[in-house]
Amino acid sequence: MDYYETEEDSALTTFNVEEAKEIIRSAVEGVVGGNVYQHSRVKQWNSSVIEQCLSQLNKLGKPFKYIVNCIIMQKTGAGLQTACACFWDNSTDGCCAVKWENESMHCIVNVFGMAI
Amino acid sequence: MEIVYVYTKNREEFGRQCLLSDRPVELLVDIPPDQNAASNFIQRRQRDQAVQTLREQSEHQVNTERVEYISCGINHVEGGWPKDINPKDMEQTSRFRKMAEKDESYMNSILQLGSVTEHCCRQNNAVDIYQEYFEGWEEVEVSPELPSAKTINMFRDPNEIKRTVTGLSWHPDGGRKLAAAYSCLEFQKTSKDMSLNSYIWDVENPNRPELTLKPASPLVSLDYNPKDPHTLVGGSYNGQIVYWDTRRGSQPVEFSSVEQSHRDPILLCLQILWWDIRRLSEPTERLVLDPGREGNLDRALGAISLEFEATMPTKFMVGTEQGLVVSCNRKAKTPAEKIVCTYDGHHGPVYALQRNPFFPKNFLTVGDWTARIWSEDIKESSIMCTKYQMSYLTDACWSPVRPSVFFTVKMDGMLDVWDILFNQSDPTLSVKVCDRALYSLRVQDNGHLVACGSQQGETTLLEICAGLSTLQKNEKSLLAAMFERETKREKILEARQREIRLKERSRSEQSREEEIGRDDGEDDPDQLIARAESDFCSLVEGGLHRRERREEDVLRVSHSYSPTS
Repeated sequence: MDYYETEEDSALTTFNVEEAKEIIRSAVEGVVGGNVYQHSRVKQWNSSVIEQCLSQLNKLGKPFKYIVNCIIMQKTGAGLQTACACFWDNSTDGCCAVKWENESMHCIVNVFGMAI
Repeated sequence: MEIVYVYTKNREEFGRQCLLSDRPVELLVDIPPDQNAASNFIQRRQRDQAVQTLREQSEHQVNTERVEYISCGINHVEGGWPKDINPKDMEQTSRFRKMAEKDESYMNSILQLGSVTEHCCRQNNAVDIYQEYFEGWEEVEVSPELPSAKTINMFRDPNEIKRTVTGLSWHPDGGRKLAAAYSCLEFQKTSKDMSLNSYIWDVENPNRPELTLKPASPLVSLDYNPKDPHTLVGGSYNGQIVYWDTRRGSQPVEFSSVEQSHRDPILLCLQILWWDIRRLSEPTERLVLDPGREGNLDRALGAISLEFEATMPTKFMVGTEQGLVVSCNRKAKTPAEKIVCTYDGHHGPVYALQRNPFFPKNFLTVGDWTARIWSEDIKESSIMCTKYQMSYLTDACWSPVRPSVFFTVKMDGMLDVWDILFNQSDPTLSVKVCDRALYSLRVQDNGHLVACGSQQGETTLLEICAGLSTLQKNEKSLLAAMFERETKREKILEARQREIRLKERSRSEQSREEEIGRDDGEDDPDQLIARAESDFCSLVEGGLHRRERREEDVLRVSHSYSPTS
C-alpha cells in the first residue's frame, strides 16, 4: 500500500510559507503600522501581533503546531542578527521570517509550523 | 487567548515513525548597525530622582482684631501695712515706722542697697549719653535722588460712619499734633447717628486721638492760632464759629451765632474775621462780595476760601464759588472801596488760595482741574498754569521751606508735588494716597511732613524726601527771576490785547454797516460755547491718543524683548 501524496494532500499537510507570510504581514501592519516606537506600548504591540498571527494561522485549519516569535527593536543604530536551526520533518514542517520596519523601529516575526 | 483546534487523525497513523532530519542554521534576520540613527540619541548618564518623606502641611495666617492700648503709670508711695494696723491712723503708722527703723535686718539691707544704688548713680553720671558728638559738622550735599514720598501714619476716623476730613491744621509749635475737622460735605446727608466730633491727633499715636473736640454741629474747618498754640478756632456747618482752649478740655469755650453758613474763618491775634456767603455780620465787618462793586446783594458771590498774610494785615483775598478771586482791603472806609480788584480765575469754585511764603506778591489758586499761580499786579490772567489734570483738584498749599514747591490733592486720591523750577507742566512727584477722593491738605512747618485727609475720614501722614524739602542753593533768586519773567510776559500780552481792542473798536466805529467780527472777547455766546466744546474735545482726544500711543510703545518694546511669542 503506497502512500502517494497528492497535491491536495500536500497542500494540506505541508507548511505553506507564502500564506504564513501574508498573515504575518497583515497582522504587523495592523498593529504597529504608522506608530512611533514607544517603550510603554511595545509590550502590548508584541502581544497583539502574536495573538493575531496565531488566530489567523489556526483559522487555516491545518493540523499543525505553530510557534510564533516576535521581536520589536527600536532603531538606535544597533545591529541585530537572528538565526535558527531545526530538527524536524523536512517534508512537512517549515518556518518563515518576516521583516517589517518603519522610521523608528524594526519588527521581526518568526513562525514555525510543525505537522501533527 | 482561547484558540481551540479540533482535528482528526486516522488510527493507522498513530504511532507512526517520525522521520526527523536536521535543518542547518539559517540566518533569519540581519540588521546592520546604523550610525545615523544613533546620532538621534544620547546616553542618559544620570537620573535625578527626588524623594521626600514628609507629611502634608498647610500654611494659614491669622490676624487678631486690633486691641486698643492705653499707657498709664503707677506710683507707689507708701503701703504694705500689716493687717492689724489701720493705715489712716497716724499714731499706729508712726509707731510701726519707728519699730521698723529699729529692726536689725532693716539697717543692714539699707546699707547694702545704698552702696548698690550709689554705684549705679555714679555710672549714670560718668557718661553723658545725650552729649552732642558731631556738632559743627557741615551738612553733606544731598545727592540727586529720585523724589519720593513715604506714608508714615494714617489716622482713621474712630466712628463707625466715616466722614470726610474737611479741615486740617498743624500745631504751630513743632508740629507734633494735628487737628482734623470731620464733617459730611454732601448737603443734607447727615444722619442722626453721625458723630459731631473732631479730633486732635498726636503724630506718634495713630490709635487714639489725643483730644476730642465736641462742637454743637460738625466742623467744616479748623485752625490753630499761629501765635498761641493752645487755642483753636473752628467753623461749623451751621455757621457758628467755635473757639477752644485745649487746656480746658473738649468743650468749646466760646461760640457765636450767625445767620447763614460760611466756610473758612481765620484767627488773627484775638480777633476773628468773618466771611459770609451773602452778608457779613457782627462783630467785625460787613462786606458784600460783588464784582460790580455796587454793594448789590443780588450779585453777591459765594466765598469758599480765604487767604490772609500775617505780614500784610490790611489786605486779604477771597476765593469764590464762581471762580473769581477777590482782593480786598480791610481798612477801606466804604464797602465799595473794600474790593480792590478781582482776578478771573477758574471755571469752577476756587477751593484753595495761598500766598507764597517767600514771595508774598504771588499766590496760588486751585480750582476746577488746574492750579494757577498769579502775580498781584496782573489781573487779566495767571502768570503760570498747570495742564488740565484728569480729576478735580481739591486743595493746595505751598511748601513752607522751598519757595518753588507746592502740593496739590485731587479727587482721585492722588497727591502731586510740583516743583516749578524743575518742570512746569507735570508734577515732579505723584503719589497715590488712597482710593477715595482727598479733600484737604496741610504741610507741616518744617516742610517734611504732609497730612492729607480723605473722603472716608482717613488722614494720611506722608514724609517727603529730603530733596523736595530742603532749600536748594540759589532757589530764591531763580524763582524770583522766573516770576519776574512771567509777570513781564503777561504785562506785555495785556498791553497788546488792549491795543488790539482799541484798534478794533475804532475800526468798527468807522464802518458800522459791515459787522466785522469784533475781537475774541465779544463773540456770539453760542459760537463761544461751540468753540470751547470743540477745543475741549480735541484736547481730551489728543491726551487720550498720546496715552494710547505711549501704551502701544510700551507693549511693542516688551514684545520685542520676549524671545518666543
